[in-house]
Amino acid sequence: MPAFLLIVITLVAFYFAYKFYSRYLAEKVYRLDPNFVTPAHAMRDGVDFVPTHKHVLLGHHFTSVAGAAPIVGPAIAVYWGWLPALTWVILGTIFAAGVHDFGSIVVSARNRGQNIGTLSGKVVSARASTLFLLIIFFLLTLVNAVFGVVMAILFEKNPGAVVPALIVIPIAVFIGQWAYRMGRSIVIPSILGLLLLYAAIPVGQAYPIYVDGLAEAVGLSVRTTWIILIFAYTWIASRLPVWVLLQPRDYINGQQLIVALAVIFLGVLIGWDTISAPAVNEVAPNSPHWFPYLFITVACGAISGFHSLVASGTTSKQLGNETEARFVGYGGALGEGALALAAILACTAGLGAAGDWNAAYADFGAASGGALGHFVTGTGHFLSNLGIPATLGATFAAVVVITFAGTTMDTGVRLQRYILEEIAELAGVKALVGRVNLLTTLAVLIPLGLALLPGGDSSGGKGFAFGRLWTLFGTTNQLTAGLALSIIGVWLLARNRNPLAALIPLVFLLFMTTWALLLNLGDFFAKGDWLLLVMDAAIFVLAAWLVVEAFTAFNRERRNPSAAAEES
Amino acid sequence: MSSASVVDPAVRGRLAGGRVHQVILVREQDAQHSGSGCCGRLGERHTALGGAADFSHSRARMEQVGEIYRALAAAVPDLELTVVDPRNLVWLYPAVWRAARAHGAGVLTALRAVARAGAPVAVVVDGNTLYSGRLPDTQTVMAAVLARVQQRSPARPTADAQRQP
Repeated sequence: MPAFLLIVITLVAFYFAYKFYSRYLAEKVYRLDPNFVTPAHAMRDGVDFVPTHKHVLLGHHFTSVAGAAPIVGPAIAVYWGWLPALTWVILGTIFAAGVHDFGSIVVSARNRGQNIGTLSGKVVSARASTLFLLIIFFLLTLVNAVFGVVMAILFEKNPGAVVPALIVIPIAVFIGQWAYRMGRSIVIPSILGLLLLYAAIPVGQAYPIYVDGLAEAVGLSVRTTWIILIFAYTWIASRLPVWVLLQPRDYINGQQLIVALAVIFLGVLIGWDTISAPAVNEVAPNSPHWFPYLFITVACGAISGFHSLVASGTTSKQLGNETEARFVGYGGALGEGALALAAILACTAGLGAAGDWNAAYADFGAASGGALGHFVTGTGHFLSNLGIPATLGATFAAVVVITFAGTTMDTGVRLQRYILEEIAELAGVKALVGRVNLLTTLAVLIPLGLALLPGGDSSGGKGFAFGRLWTLFGTTNQLTAGLALSIIGVWLLARNRNPLAALIPLVFLLFMTTWALLLNLGDFFAKGDWLLLVMDAAIFVLAAWLVVEAFTAFNRERRNPSAAAEES
Repeated sequence: MSSASVVDPAVRGRLAGGRVHQVILVREQDAQHSGSGCCGRLGERHTALGGAADFSHSRARMEQVGEIYRALAAAVPDLELTVVDPRNLVWLYPAVWRAARAHGAGVLTALRAVARAGAPVAVVVDGNTLYSGRLPDTQTVMAAVLARVQQRSPARPTADAQRQP
């Protein structure tokens, strides 16, 4: 089947979903009111609350939610075949992510622009805000662990990507000095920086950097050495002022996102590659079954709980007219779905054209451990359709993922520091409060332990442990989404509206998540993976807690609709 | 909202033909990142926990631009005011380019306006980037913006003036 056809099918499905289902949500479920005075107008201050045109707001919203995660999940999930992966991306985007992202904006806008953490305490129950904090703690821990491993795998398998990935640091530091210290425009330097980064790709190819010698000297494997180096870098990066590295690198990231999406879809159009991967793959024995693992492997790209944080943290405060929540929220979800589609295309059509797909996806270990490598190789093939040598194209794709992952880890460790501090305050552990270096060290050591202890290497280098780490990440991401959907559902019920649009994806996600967590418990116990077992058990308790909170809140509202979620 | 400035009655947010003057205030949204995917922002928690300190410089710029925003909104209610993050490049650069060209700027001038608009902080009036990178105090920015608006919309005769012989 031509890969182009998958693009057409997905875009047509998204078009009709936007035209009909999002309209249904807008008119019948959320009942958007063009006369409702949004917080952007009611509390207009030109700082946080700013009425913003819907096209501007979509740009803000999409660039904030798009990242590397919608690439990793689909790149693993095509192991079960492109059909289940694509079907979940399409249906998840339309019926789960769209409802979730759109609804998060609406409920927040109807509550003075409060964010999901605050709303969980207000709409669901006071305990739910603690639940939110704990879910986010686990989510960030797993995010940092998986992206640490992702970067290590990419560096190990693409040593040519090390030079460009390193070059981006002084470029970003220079841009930071130029823009923030000297107060100059950033456009030309960031474009030059991007070109310099791309110019470094062939240099990196010519001078690949290996850490084999260092690894041998310290008696560690290459991947473990990279993981430790990356976390050491992250500690330093997250202690630097944000304007030195994080913010200026963001300009390059934003440009990379556009360039990467453009070249992938253009490469598909020009190359007219066919999908050589099976629609439904006959997986190796002892592989995780697609049901329920598919639904937690593809988290971002089908539904991501973190979107509710962006939707309620910033977007809702800038919504000029309530009716525009449909365009921004639902449209943003469709954009994320398109990113997941790009990953599926790279790992099926691109990878298939570049090499032996069946060998690359021989078992779940190869599929999960090699997922990013498969995306990189596939994207390299698409770039070869545009006349760029495939090896250079592959390094380009690796650099894109590495810079995204680097930003994610930098922000993730910073956020984890705040969460740890708040948990310490709640638990009365005064010794941690205000101790930034200690908190940063903890925020680095916890995911580092997770990245190393389950045996990223001890699994024979196949990275099966990474696959299991990733599914744990997926469960926490889906739990965050579940919490947001609970808030949306309770809010709808309190207004005597049909809550099914939120309830169905909520029940589906909670069912898949708890089932997968239970299966994992047995698996980790059998294999003696005690750290993962404890992690899984803790997340399972959070899932059960969320089920109880959601059920109690729904029951309360069904019997006695309250003003708990009354909009201001 | 801050109190309205005293503005020359000739200054109006509308151009001849009903078009509206466009002012784009460029500033970064604190604690938000492109390409970070999962880890963008935690909303109020982020700032309540001292996270604001990480982004205090961005926050200070947001506050300063907010002051200009409020002053402009009060002084010239007709003005089309847009606050945009410079990383929103898909919207910002085409918008400045279009506005510059629509107001008669040549290709090089329009390109220069686009290049200057992409800064952590900038002020763009009808496709003309007045400030880029650093902003003077609010009154100075206000005066420059209003002067620009006035220059582009020649005073239409008031009703009283029309009645005079």
